[in-house]
Amino acid sequence: MDDPPALELRSVSKRYRLRDGGEFAAVDSLSLEVRRGEIVALLGPNGAGKTTAMQLALGLLHADAGEARLFGGDPELLAIRRRIGYGPDAPLFPKELTGLEVLTLHGELLGFHHGDAKDRAIRFATEVGLAEPSRRRIATYSRGQQQRLGVALALLGDPDLLLLDEPTAGLDPAGVAAMREMLVNLRARGAAVLLNSHLLSEVERVCDRVLFLKGGRLLRTHEMRATGLRAEIRLANASELLARVPQMFASGLDGNRLRLEIPGEDAVPPLVRKLVEAGAEIVEVRLIGADLEQLYLEIVEGRT
Amino acid sequence: MSALICWPVARATFRTRLRSPGPWLVGFLFTVAGAVRGSRHGAGIETFSGPGTIWFIVLTFALGAAILSDEIESGHAQLVLLRPITRAAWYGGRLAGGCLAMGLFCVIAWLATFSAAVARGDGFDPMRFASLVLALVWGCAWLSVLTCLGAFLPRWTNAGALGLIILAWILLFGIVATLRPAWAGVVETVTRFLGPQDPMIFAEPTKPGRDLGPALYDLVWIFVPWVVGVAILNRRELARRRA
Repeated sequence: MDDPPALELRSVSKRYRLRDGGEFAAVDSLSLEVRRGEIVALLGPNGAGKTTAMQLALGLLHADAGEARLFGGDPELLAIRRRIGYGPDAPLFPKELTGLEVLTLHGELLGFHHGDAKDRAIRFATEVGLAEPSRRRIATYSRGQQQRLGVALALLGDPDLLLLDEPTAGLDPAGVAAMREMLVNLRARGAAVLLNSHLLSEVERVCDRVLFLKGGRLLRTHEMRATGLRAEIRLANASELLARVPQMFASGLDGNRLRLEIPGEDAVPPLVRKLVEAGAEIVEVRLIGADLEQLYLEIVEGRT
Repeated sequence: MSALICWPVARATFRTRLRSPGPWLVGFLFTVAGAVRGSRHGAGIETFSGPGTIWFIVLTFALGAAILSDEIESGHAQLVLLRPITRAAWYGGRLAGGCLAMGLFCVIAWLATFSAAVARGDGFDPMRFASLVLALVWGCAWLSVLTCLGAFLPRWTNAGALGLIILAWILLFGIVATLRPAWAGVVETVTRFLGPQDPMIFAEPTKPGRDLGPALYDLVWIFVPWVVGVAILNRRELARRRA
């Protein structure tokens, strides 16, 4: 029998009552699943229901209709909670404690002994770039540092399922790059990730699937691997190569830039190796995703 | 991990309570009040009686104010409750952490009183230990009531509401005693059942008997508000998730 998906929402709906007596559908008959070893992003405008969908999946909110399952079970089961990590949008922590104390507390809540929890706390604080600040009280943290702490908390238990709500909000470029690397590593060890982010360039680079939401409904699912990535390689000796090995460079060469479709980031090292063996002098390699922004505008905003 | 008390949460609560300036200020005044009154005839109760009673109650309120709401309203409780612990264990951990902080302040004040009494020529009286234990039971009972109120009142209003209730009752007692002296006995009898009772009568050297009744009654005031508070917290949390 197949393993159940790490996360599954089956036709879930959530309505909020408004003060004027009306109702607002935050999520409307939404179905989605995230399998192990997969990074899925929720994309949509503010109020599309992305955060509500995550909270329904975690059991932080109860659905009016439909069902949320994590690893085939009830999200509120303690055994299942041990396997999940959650990084909320704008996390807030007790400002009297240090980052390390908060991480150690959560490590202990996950079942680690105090010493092990502290070791893990130090390791994860270092991984998210909080080695020094983690010894200070959280009251002194910037927004970005609190965000990093939230990510460290989410990763602390080596989760099999990670849900991150706007994890890159407030992060500096180094933090965004570190986050990307962590997500890729998680996927490599078979964890499932559900991501809610407005940073399309990051979504393009790491996600396997993108779900476009609007008004609480799923508009479309887009497989990132179906369109793949484009590698743009700047060469120092483009004209010489074109003359020497035209069959290799005739298509895709535009001036000194070679543009090639590739299935994913994994294809970059062999491609570079092949080009170097062919005598190419590579100045720069840039990866460009399927134009997610264009797709977003088309699907969500209805612009062509 | 205990099903009733999550000790990591208790330790974190203990730390957060001790890192606020308010409890330290009140704890200092509480300690000074005990040291000033420390007497060779006090048998230890002077820490928790007279002016000490007032500072002890203020300390309990300072430690119990917003004991649940500061975590719930900041959103950190939501993260903690996503871990494999129950709401009951989290509640127990918050209460236990507050009690531990109160215990620390009580021990400091008690030691200050004891040192002052020794300096004034007191010998060792085992009843001094009893006064400490009795005071802890009393304080924990008040803290349990504050925590229970914190399960449904926002921010620090649990302490405000309890303070108002106590003041209102004292006022009522005064009015009744003045205007209807015949009813004063009835109100006094009712008062003996409303809220935790001062258990120091057990250690009071001038009293003839060793009455352990108030202390035992205070144990009820630890556990009943605890159970009620957990039930309220559960109901409110489930209602919030459904809302």
